[in-house]
Amino acid sequence: MNLKRVWTLIKNDTFHGPKDAVLVMSLVMPVLLALFVNLAFGNIFTDRGKLGVYDEGNSGLPAILVSSASIKVKTYNDEVSLKNATTSGAIDMGIILPDDFDTVLTTGTVRLRAYIWGESLAKNRAVIPVVLADAVREMTGATLPVNIDTVALGDVSNLPWSSRLLPLTVLMAIFFGGMMIPASSLIHEKQKHTLEALNITPASISEIFIAKGVIGAILALIMGVITLTLSGGFGGSPLALLIVLALGAVMAAEIGLLLGAYIRDMNTLYATWKFGGLLLFGPAIVYMFPQIPAWVGYLFPTYYVVKPVMDLSVSGYGFNAILTNALILAGIVIVFGLLVIAITRRMSTQALRLSA
Amino acid sequence: MNARVIKALLKKDLSLFMSNRFYMLMTVVGLIFYIGIYFLLPSNVDEKLNLAMYAPEMPRAFGQLTNHEGAEIQLFSTEESLRQAILDNDFQAGVALPSDILDVWAAGGKPMVTVYYNSAAPVEISAAIVALVKELSYTQTGQVLNFDTTEEILGTDMLGQQITLRDRMRPLLAVFILVMETLTLASLIATEIEQGTVRALLTTPLRVSDLFLAKGILGIGLALGQSVFFMALVGGFNHEPLLMFVTLLIGSFMVVGIGFLLASFTRDVIAVTGWGVLILVLLAVPGFGNVIPGLLSDWAKVIPSYYLTDSVSRIANYGAGWRDVMVNLGVLIGFTVIVFWGGMSILRRRYL
Repeated sequence: MNLKRVWTLIKNDTFHGPKDAVLVMSLVMPVLLALFVNLAFGNIFTDRGKLGVYDEGNSGLPAILVSSASIKVKTYNDEVSLKNATTSGAIDMGIILPDDFDTVLTTGTVRLRAYIWGESLAKNRAVIPVVLADAVREMTGATLPVNIDTVALGDVSNLPWSSRLLPLTVLMAIFFGGMMIPASSLIHEKQKHTLEALNITPASISEIFIAKGVIGAILALIMGVITLTLSGGFGGSPLALLIVLALGAVMAAEIGLLLGAYIRDMNTLYATWKFGGLLLFGPAIVYMFPQIPAWVGYLFPTYYVVKPVMDLSVSGYGFNAILTNALILAGIVIVFGLLVIAITRRMSTQALRLSA
Repeated sequence: MNARVIKALLKKDLSLFMSNRFYMLMTVVGLIFYIGIYFLLPSNVDEKLNLAMYAPEMPRAFGQLTNHEGAEIQLFSTEESLRQAILDNDFQAGVALPSDILDVWAAGGKPMVTVYYNSAAPVEISAAIVALVKELSYTQTGQVLNFDTTEEILGTDMLGQQITLRDRMRPLLAVFILVMETLTLASLIATEIEQGTVRALLTTPLRVSDLFLAKGILGIGLALGQSVFFMALVGGFNHEPLLMFVTLLIGSFMVVGIGFLLASFTRDVIAVTGWGVLILVLLAVPGFGNVIPGLLSDWAKVIPSYYLTDSVSRIANYGAGWRDVMVNLGVLIGFTVIVFWGGMSILRRRYL
């Protein structure tokens, strides 16, 4: 293998390769999906009321309110912004703390002005004042007249939908581009007979495969990183996460090369994607519905990408916790790599011709 | 205008559209998908805080909660039945008061109140219940806060008549259906240009204006037909049906105009798909503002589809009339005239 030739092939493919719907979808779809999941499932389906605060003075109340788990608190710099935010529904309720709020509070009176969004839910209108009162009590140092014991019932963990959909988003980011770019690139070469042209150059089949695989893997890795960044889930071990994403990206590119070697046209590739997608995205479905037994996920090779990613980014585990799955993933990558090598050894450009 | 020629051209374009598996799939599956999404979304708003309560002895402050408009309280006769109801997902959380709660308070002690919550419930639920129990306990023990507040409700007070998520989503889906046709029309024109059939057509008695008319009729027909079908199914014509139809019609003209413009600066179907997806995303952005109130700032008004989405939303969800959406429709018509004229002029100059 000649690295210089591989680099030339990578450059050619990158700058002069097809800029088609596959490329656009590889770049746009994962970002859109990540944005949609975070916007929609991060905000719509939450029961948390939203309180806006404009503090005319320097009260200690906003800091206490921000720490509340039952509402979301946003601070504003002036009354106009607060009122606009309430009118638009960005917040359910907006309160203005007068500059003497803390002083008046010492007399046992809470003095403030409030704007309420007309479409805010009754429960938010009930919960926000309760949380507000609770924060005020904390400020005044009131003694709680009750002991409260909180007991969780059931064994299903509360994983928000934005986290449950993260595996789907990550798999889409890594596998759509990582698989489809090398596969479609090889198919285009076959359809346009450019592989035959390459055959008269010193470039070998394995170098062509490596170049296309590298492009797919890099794109998959970049999209995986972008998606996780948008989802705010890099966790405490970014390096470990990068290693897992890189292994996943290589696996995606290898599958793409295998598909590209055997598939003759784009329609068949899309059809394979539709059917094969079910196999690839199986672990994402397992994550979406905790009722499905976890062992079902073990059967899918992509599980060993998703599981470490979830452990690192959502659960916040360290590298040691994902070591076993990472090693299995590395093993799968090696197996797919051997398959690609075997195919490139067996095949010649003649075998890759569309007319074959 | 040659009606016979236009009819023949329409027939040809329709068969071309139906033979393109990608766009046919996007159109049919897309429509089913949008309708499916609408009906899968919740049809009601869970407006109240549902709470299970076991209170062998009910303190006065806690009893007042049962009359609160923001809470729906169900009392249970045993603590075990309350726990079971939470385990069965009938309630996300519940409060169990001890039988000696009043005596403990009377003796100056602190009773133990248990807040149960389903482990699958969002964390804010249990936190809100804990805050509620605290406040009710303060009130019960006479530590009442004096609130000197002035409140103002901004916008129409929709308490009890909230807009459901599916109805908030309705304008977004309708506009999505419309803008998808931008891609279809642009790709049909691009195919003609790419294959050189446009020039072949112009050697027949067909005039350039007839060509645009045929393409325009097809584009408007596809866009309007689908959006009207969707809105009819999801109850979008329940209020001011004529106004809604006119709005969708103007929207259809707009997407066809954008389709002409898109086809005018792209060379082939691949480029149409690439640029079209980006335009589609941009045009869909204002719709998200309806789904997530407060998400978008005023900058969204720069996007022309804002005026379409806003009009559809106001008519369907807020009972707006002609006068309320007049400005929106005016802006839409103005923009449509510009893109229609621009698209046709550039296409004519570049390719015809």
